[in-house]
Amino acid sequence: MTQDLLLRYLIWPLVKFLVAFIIVQVIVAAMNWVERRLLGLMQARLGPNRVGREFGIPWGLAQIVADPIKFILKEDIVPSSSEKVAYFLGPMLPLIPAFLVFCLIPYGPPPTFVVTHVNVGLLLILALTSTGVYGIILGGWASNNKYSLMGGLRSAAQMVSYEVPFGLSIVGVLMLCGSFDLVHIINYQADHIWNLFPQLIAAFIFLVAMNAENNRTPFDLPEAESELVAGYHTEYSAMKFAFFMLAEYSSMMVNCCLMVSLFFGGWTMAINGYGLTTGVLRGMGLLGGILGALIFITKVMVFMLMYIWFRATFPRFRFDQLMDLGWKWMIPLALANIAVTAIVVLLGDQFDFQGEVVLSIAGAAIIVFTLILLLRPRAKVTHARRVSEA
Amino acid sequence: MHVEYPKPRWTDKFLLLDMLEGLKTTFRELFKPKVTIRYPEERLEPANRFRGMFKFSFDRCIACKLCALACPIDIIYIDVHDEQREVDGKMKKLKVLDRYDIDVKRCMFCSLCEEACPTKPKSIWLTTKTYELATYDRSDLYFNMQQLEYWEGRPEYAGLPADESLETKKIEGGTA
Repeated sequence: MTQDLLLRYLIWPLVKFLVAFIIVQVIVAAMNWVERRLLGLMQARLGPNRVGREFGIPWGLAQIVADPIKFILKEDIVPSSSEKVAYFLGPMLPLIPAFLVFCLIPYGPPPTFVVTHVNVGLLLILALTSTGVYGIILGGWASNNKYSLMGGLRSAAQMVSYEVPFGLSIVGVLMLCGSFDLVHIINYQADHIWNLFPQLIAAFIFLVAMNAENNRTPFDLPEAESELVAGYHTEYSAMKFAFFMLAEYSSMMVNCCLMVSLFFGGWTMAINGYGLTTGVLRGMGLLGGILGALIFITKVMVFMLMYIWFRATFPRFRFDQLMDLGWKWMIPLALANIAVTAIVVLLGDQFDFQGEVVLSIAGAAIIVFTLILLLRPRAKVTHARRVSEA
Repeated sequence: MHVEYPKPRWTDKFLLLDMLEGLKTTFRELFKPKVTIRYPEERLEPANRFRGMFKFSFDRCIACKLCALACPIDIIYIDVHDEQREVDGKMKKLKVLDRYDIDVKRCMFCSLCEEACPTKPKSIWLTTKTYELATYDRSDLYFNMQQLEYWEGRPEYAGLPADESLETKKIEGGTA
């Protein structure tokens, strides 16, 4: 009996968490190389392509190993005027929630591929991820450097103001699915349609807010190289710096997982109950589970690449523009989305039609319309025309 | 003067077409050929008038020392002795080079020595395309006559096309 409980509540979750954790961390480490390489390719250069050539490793792939080794071997410099305890805690604090969240994310069909099935998992994830900002503020302040402090302050302001649209954008999804349970939300999407379509605006806000949450371009003001040296981690070196990077990439990963679970159907690949639903995957046994997990990871990687794509494309916002966008556009938009969703769903209940279908059609129409406008053959873009004044 | 931008339509504004257009552009860049040169494996050919490593010709040199005079930082070291030799059946006094050294580590590749050289073709010239002069030891950059003449180098400047060839100025006393 005790052994059973121990196995069920301690050993298995721990093993599952470790496996998931290791896979995720390998992906995170690889992301560093992927990011540099992809950014290079998008900027007409090659990116890191040399490390490992002596050992016959192609495309500079050994960079993935070389970077951590360099971080470990480097001297750990602590500024003499820093606040020692806070300086030490700075890189640790964002790391803990970023790692903890990985046991709340469902990677594949339950129960095998879900580490802990919490029925308010989404709330817990949101609560945990939003604590990541403490480490950044603490690190920025403890460095005793005005640039670091500016970076920390900016980060705090930005994360707090984008936490609001981040949370609000999820509300529409919750109204449709009626649960905080990620597994339930994913199953709901498999039985109906990806939430992307009925909640298109929410998905867009979520995408923007998750970029802002992780201090990624175009919202990378906390570490703006051209203004603040490196922002909150200016004074950090060696492994402490690596911890900041690790936390950043881990939380990127978490947000991508959330994005996929909430709007893109998680591990399922189904519409209206047809296709690879949870039931079908479960019927295939362990193989189905692995297939589900692979689908999940593929979707997550698409969004990780999207971060890099955005970084290669968009210039940085000014700080007032950032606040403007957050408070004047994102929050009203999120609220409007909630109102519209609520009204349509209620009307659907009242007059006996499926509100979700109406929303899906609207969302799909917007996507199709945008794609048509974007891909239509056009005359060469006319540049700004000089008009001489008489 | 003011600048007039094309007026955005409301669809462009609300569907964020500009941003999507930007994403499209960067995505296309991903597949375009890159400009980076993988240096040790691939090398760019320097321009024709590139001033590279010195090349010296013992046979052409008349030991006049004009190059040493022209050198603004005096890094050309020349030693000469006179010799009586039979040329065309007559005994003639000839200058013979004992030493022609260049301290390349201090050279600024101004090419004034080349301009000063009165022989035709030049007996010292820099229009070679060798630029990889880095060494592990400073003393490796001190070149003597033999080294200056017989290093393995990259192709030299073939010369300008005949019609626009610039005749190098004849030197009339002192430096050009």
